[in-house]
Amino acid sequence: MTEGAGNGAAAIRVEEVSHQYLPARGRPVLALDRVSLEVREREFLALLGPSGCGKSTLLYLIGGFLPIGAGRIEVGGRAVTEPGPDRGIVFQHFALFPWKTVRENVMYGLAKQGLAKDEQARRAQEFIDLVKLTGFEDSYPAQLSGGMKQRAALARTLAIDPQILLMDEPFGALDAQTRILMQEELLSIWQRRRKTVVFVTHDVQEAVYLAERVAVMSARPGRIKEIVDCRFSLSGPALFKSPEFVERVDHVWNLVRGEAIAAQGGSA
Amino acid sequence: MARVATGRAHDLVGATLWSVVQSGSIIVVLIGWELLARSGLFTAFLLPTLSSVLARVVEDATSGLLFFDLAVTLYRAVLGFAIAAVAGIALGILIARIPAIHWLFDPIVSIGFPMPKVAFLPVFMLWFGVYDFSKISMIVFNAIFPVIAATVAGTQGVDKHLVWSARSLGAKPGEILREIILPAALPQILTGLQVALPTALIVAIVTEIIMGGDGLGASMIRASRYADSPGVFAGIVEIAAAGWLVIKGVEWLRRRLLVWHQETQGLATM
Repeated sequence: MTEGAGNGAAAIRVEEVSHQYLPARGRPVLALDRVSLEVREREFLALLGPSGCGKSTLLYLIGGFLPIGAGRIEVGGRAVTEPGPDRGIVFQHFALFPWKTVRENVMYGLAKQGLAKDEQARRAQEFIDLVKLTGFEDSYPAQLSGGMKQRAALARTLAIDPQILLMDEPFGALDAQTRILMQEELLSIWQRRRKTVVFVTHDVQEAVYLAERVAVMSARPGRIKEIVDCRFSLSGPALFKSPEFVERVDHVWNLVRGEAIAAQGGSA
Repeated sequence: MARVATGRAHDLVGATLWSVVQSGSIIVVLIGWELLARSGLFTAFLLPTLSSVLARVVEDATSGLLFFDLAVTLYRAVLGFAIAAVAGIALGILIARIPAIHWLFDPIVSIGFPMPKVAFLPVFMLWFGVYDFSKISMIVFNAIFPVIAATVAGTQGVDKHLVWSARSLGAKPGEILREIILPAALPQILTGLQVALPTALIVAIVTEIIMGGDGLGASMIRASRYADSPGVFAGIVEIAAAGWLVIKGVEWLRRRLLVWHQETQGLATM
C-alpha cells in the first residue's frame, strides 16, 4: 500500500493481556500470554499465526465478546468492557441471521441506531449496492453462495459505520477464486472508507498482500513474535510477482513455519 | 401453447397417479380388509366390512354426532397442547438460562421425558376426578416434556456468533432472547411441538376411553360396551383421519413459519 500506516495515533491498545479458557474437562489452557499490541488509526493490520495460537481469541477480546482476564484493552482511549457498534465484526462463517433476508440483516444494526424506517432502507440499499449484492435484497442467507453470504455480512457490518473493522478469517470458508475477488473488493472498500482493520488469518500470502503490518503470533500460548511491515510500492495483481513481495512472503512464512510445526506437536 | 397445455395436463395426471401410487399400501390394506370381511372367515361382529364401517362414519357425520365428538376431542387435545406449548417453552428457556432452575428441573425432565406418563392416569383420576380438568391436566403433563426438551436443546445450541453479531450491531443484552435466541431456536422448538401435538391427541383419546364423557374415545368405548362392532371400527377410521389432518396442519404451519430455513428452500426448488 502506498499510503502511510495510519496517522500514528493508536486506535486500539492491547496491554499485557493474558487469557485462559477452561475446557469442559481438564486443566485451564493459557491461550494468550501477556500480549501487547498497538493498532494505529485507519491502519490495516493482520494477525497471523498457526491454528490455535489465540489470534481469534485476541480479536474476540478486542471485540468485547470475551471477558478480559488480565491486562487491559483500550479502544479510542476507553477500556473495552462489552461489544459495541464502534467495533464491527465479520466472522468466518458469516453469522447472518438466517430468518432475515439480506435487506433485513443489513437493517438490523441500523434499526438499533434509531434511524427512521425509510432511512434504514435507503442506507441498507446503499451498502448492498456497495458489496455488489443488488438484486438479492429479498433473498434469505440459505439461498446465497458462500461469497454472497460474506458480502451480505460485510454490508451489515459496514452499514453501521464502525470506526474499527474486526475480521475473523473472513475469507477462510470461500473457494480460491472467490477469496481473491473478495480480497480485491475489501481493499477497494478500505481505500474508499478508511477504517482501522484488524484481520485474522492463517494465510501468509493473504496477510502480506492485504495488510500494512503483519503481526506474527507464536504457537500456544500466543504471543506477538514479530511485526512485519508489508507496505509496497506496487499494488494490484502485479504485486504478486514483484521480488519485494515474494521476499516478504518468504520472510513471514519462515517466521510462521516454525510456529506451525510447534503447533503440530513439533515432530515435523 | 398447445404443447404447454398438454404438458400441464400431463403433469396433473402424473401427479394424481403418483399420489395414488404413494398411498398404494393404504389402498391395498383397505381392499384387503373389505375382501377378508366378505370372505366369511370372520363374523361381521369380529370384523365388519369396510363399506359398513364407512357407512357408519357417514351416518355419524350426517347426524352431527361425529362433529360433536370430534370437536370435544380436539378441544381437549388442542387446549392441553396449547398450555403445554406456552408453559413448556417458558420453562425450557428458564432451564437453559438460569442455573438454579436448571439444577432443579433438569433431572426431573430427564426422568420424566422417557417415562410412560399415562401411568399417572389413575392418580389424576383420584386427585382431579374424571371431568375436563383432569383430562386436560393429563394431556398437558404428557405433552409438555418434548416441548421443554426441544426448547432447552434449541436455545442452548444457538451459535454464539449470532449473539455476538447482534451485540456488536447494537443489541442490548435484554433484547437478545427475543430477537436472536428464539428465532434461531424456532426450528428445534417446532420439532418439539410436532411431537407434542400427536401426543396430546393420543392422550385425549386414552383419557376419554378410560374416563368417558363424550369425545371420539368415549364414543368408541361406548360402542364396544354395546357390542356395536361397526361403531368401534368407525371410531378408529375417524381418529385416523383426525390425526392425519392435525399432522398435515402442523406441517403446513411449519413450512409457513420457516420459509427462511434450508429444509423449506429445498422443498421450494424440488
